[in-house]
Amino acid sequence: MQKVVSTRRIFLQKGLTLLAVAPTIPTFLNQTVMALNNPYDQKLTQQASGKDGKILVVIQLSGGNDGLSTVIPYGDDVYYQARGAISHPANQVLKINDYVGLHPNLTSLKSMYDSGDLGIVQGVGYPNPNRSHFRSMDIWQSAQPEIQQPSNGWLGRYFDNTCPGCDPHVGVSIGETLPLAMQGEKVLPLSFERPDSYRYNGRDKTDYVKLNQVQSEPPPTSAAKRITAADQLDFLHRTAMDAQLSSEEILRLTRNHQSPTPYPANEFGNGLKTIAAMIAGGLPTRVYYVALTGFDTHAQQLQRHDALMKQLSDGLGAFWQDLKQQKNDERVMAMTFSEFGRRVQSNASNGTDHGAAAPMFVMGKSIKQGLISPHPSLHDLDQGDLKYVVDFRSVYASILQNWLNTPSKPILGDQYPLLPLVKNV
Amino acid sequence: MANIHPMLTAYVPTESDPFDDVKASHLLNRAGFGGTPEEIQRVRKLGPQRAADWLLDFPDAPAEEDGDNGSPDLSSIAGSPASFQQYYRQLRGKTPEERKQLQQMFQQANRQAIQAMTSWWLNRLAFGKYPLQEKLTFFWHGHFTSSAKDERSALLLWRQNELLRQNAAGNFEKFVRAISRDPAMLDYLNNNENRKAHPNENYARELMELFTLGIGNYTETDIKQAARAFTGWGHDGADFVYRVNQHDDGTKTFFGRSGNFDGDNIISLILQNPACPKFIAGELFKNFAYEDIDAPLAAALGEVLYSNHYEMRPLLRTILTSRAFYSPQSVGVLIKSPVQLVVGTIRMLGLQMPPAQALESALNQMGQLPLMPPNVRGWPGGRMWINTSTLFIRYNTGVWLAGGEVPALSRLDRKGDARGALSDRIAKSTDFDPDASGDPSAIVDAWVNRLIQRPIDADKKAVLVNVLADGVNTDSVRKVVQLIVSMPEYQLC
Repeated sequence: MQKVVSTRRIFLQKGLTLLAVAPTIPTFLNQTVMALNNPYDQKLTQQASGKDGKILVVIQLSGGNDGLSTVIPYGDDVYYQARGAISHPANQVLKINDYVGLHPNLTSLKSMYDSGDLGIVQGVGYPNPNRSHFRSMDIWQSAQPEIQQPSNGWLGRYFDNTCPGCDPHVGVSIGETLPLAMQGEKVLPLSFERPDSYRYNGRDKTDYVKLNQVQSEPPPTSAAKRITAADQLDFLHRTAMDAQLSSEEILRLTRNHQSPTPYPANEFGNGLKTIAAMIAGGLPTRVYYVALTGFDTHAQQLQRHDALMKQLSDGLGAFWQDLKQQKNDERVMAMTFSEFGRRVQSNASNGTDHGAAAPMFVMGKSIKQGLISPHPSLHDLDQGDLKYVVDFRSVYASILQNWLNTPSKPILGDQYPLLPLVKNV
Repeated sequence: MANIHPMLTAYVPTESDPFDDVKASHLLNRAGFGGTPEEIQRVRKLGPQRAADWLLDFPDAPAEEDGDNGSPDLSSIAGSPASFQQYYRQLRGKTPEERKQLQQMFQQANRQAIQAMTSWWLNRLAFGKYPLQEKLTFFWHGHFTSSAKDERSALLLWRQNELLRQNAAGNFEKFVRAISRDPAMLDYLNNNENRKAHPNENYARELMELFTLGIGNYTETDIKQAARAFTGWGHDGADFVYRVNQHDDGTKTFFGRSGNFDGDNIISLILQNPACPKFIAGELFKNFAYEDIDAPLAAALGEVLYSNHYEMRPLLRTILTSRAFYSPQSVGVLIKSPVQLVVGTIRMLGLQMPPAQALESALNQMGQLPLMPPNVRGWPGGRMWINTSTLFIRYNTGVWLAGGEVPALSRLDRKGDARGALSDRIAKSTDFDPDASGDPSAIVDAWVNRLIQRPIDADKKAVLVNVLADGVNTDSVRKVVQLIVSMPEYQLC
């Protein structure tokens, strides 16, 4: 056990930026030690870590965000006819051109737009849209609508393809559960809800660490590929090590981080603040994931949606100031998505029902500012819903290829047309 | 039955492979939620055959017939409307504002009833008379799934829960026919909106994909045709209704046969499909023994169910006494579900039931709140239970149950979302006062046997024994137990 403990110490001193080339912790640690003794250490480190590389922050708007109340077609009478009591008066909309403008509460997003840091992809969706929350969310997260019960997501496959068996810090999700989008077959990214409860509560931390150390080589894979008790224990030990190592690091980084502007005091703001701290601290993370929930506005939408827009804008505004201050604004791109938009016609309870296509925001210093695709028609509808203009997999493909510099076809199964999301490509 | 699969033949204890404490506790873990030391000894003395008979010996009856504590306290919904008619009658003549208030009142009462039912069930899972019946009821809850999300009626879910219990080890044919008429199911999978003019395929699809055949054993056309056969099957409140005007009585073609089929005909044709017994028997085997089943074993399991005309007790007995069940491929290989972990810990530590709200918060954070399955697939299980976040929550919950620090727990809303911290009164420490006498090594052995039920690594044992080096007292023994429940080994059963 002594050997493992000392290995771990070296590992921690190196600041968790190391490459591992096998999917189990024992091998991971061994490889790490080898890398430390290897003159090409630096090169190896750069390949697998995102420490100095580009970062993607995915923001999930759960529940089906009403796109028409987010990027508002205030220049179209049909919008006011369809939305009546829950429409936003033209004089309050933050105008982008003489047809669309942003929700009155999206003030930070509007200033990002004005300073060239915000792009808007309008009318994003997919063929034969599904209006079930969980099914459509599965489709967006897996990017494999043809699979009924997907077991991995587009970002998980990105990890699998680019660094199988690499440090689990490649992906960090804020929340209790790891979203399907982040699940790969080979890499298990980290997830936690709050840094301060992402830790072991027991009194005896030293002994807890000893009891969760991996003590031997991983069991050989049997030819029959049957899962044995030893395999399960190895998996559990490996996850326990990931949790314990990252817990110390994440607690330290988030405690020390000072942000220039206050974040709004809500779950979403806290999540973004944690992410900013991890970016500032130089975790080798390529993809961060966080959600803002509560968008299922079937009734009395106006008040609830206005509050959500404020949370989104204030959170992202503070996050952006923070990244600028850190001088990490060139490395970070953020994107928003939701499982669907909402029906054009509002319902009888001053709310809106499940719909289809909706806008996505992309933000960052390196993104191409402006309206990246046209607004979908309010006249030519599909069963009362907006027809999509851009397939969401085109957005993913553009991010994978032009931002994360990886071929998108192996991840998405097909080559989707690229959009001009990123500058200078 | 002439040539039964070798892994399904009965395990016979021998001198080199005895029915010891490890095997007895394995049976109690899998056929229930873990055993106390006394129960383990009792099962060991019974031997594998008689122990299985004892576990399988329960009435195919709802909990209500148990008498005391046989049903949850649903009094909060006593005044709520029990049918659509009553509902509209209560809303009639009211202003929109009054209606809204009434609806909110009904919803509030319903959520209260759901919570009462959850805590009632957790208590029964831990202390019920018939561990296997409750284990199976929980299995079927994840199989014939319905969820309390979307304000689903507590009354309907309670009826469904009793239906699952009553049929848990009975006849699968009877079970499928009953669940297809179950109001909570008709509501959850939208068959109430399945009408001749606009068939809704939701139930027909899940009936085949998840409930009886498994994916790949039917076509999209079969689904469309089956949906037509189920048109008009709906419910009003807690009653099944057949709406003849909404039923499509035209000719349907299903699995290559044509006729004026209704839902029952479709179920008969499904049950005649050899994929059905294979699928169901396989799902039961996976729940009790292990995940990887090869084709010959799947076929043999299906044969046991089919040759017994879908009676499930003979199959369950075969599984629970089989060599497969007691093989190294099975013992200690399953990752405990959150409910297994929590209920098992309460049982194995001999605790009183902790406050329900605190337990529910912990289960929710681990990803398995009863009555709130994530979707119609139920809970995915296996390694999906484990990530860096849930592992800490599992450890911390174990530490709390073993008398340690209370983890961050929060009140839940109806969706299972967290809403603010639980008060200290609810989220308090448990009363766990372990016996503190004897030699450190023997104390550690006893607790490892009780909780992990298999020997652990000598290095790890040394760590635990060392905790008692400064003295054996309630607090130091408690510390040992808190450490044992924070070990990877304790996550398996």
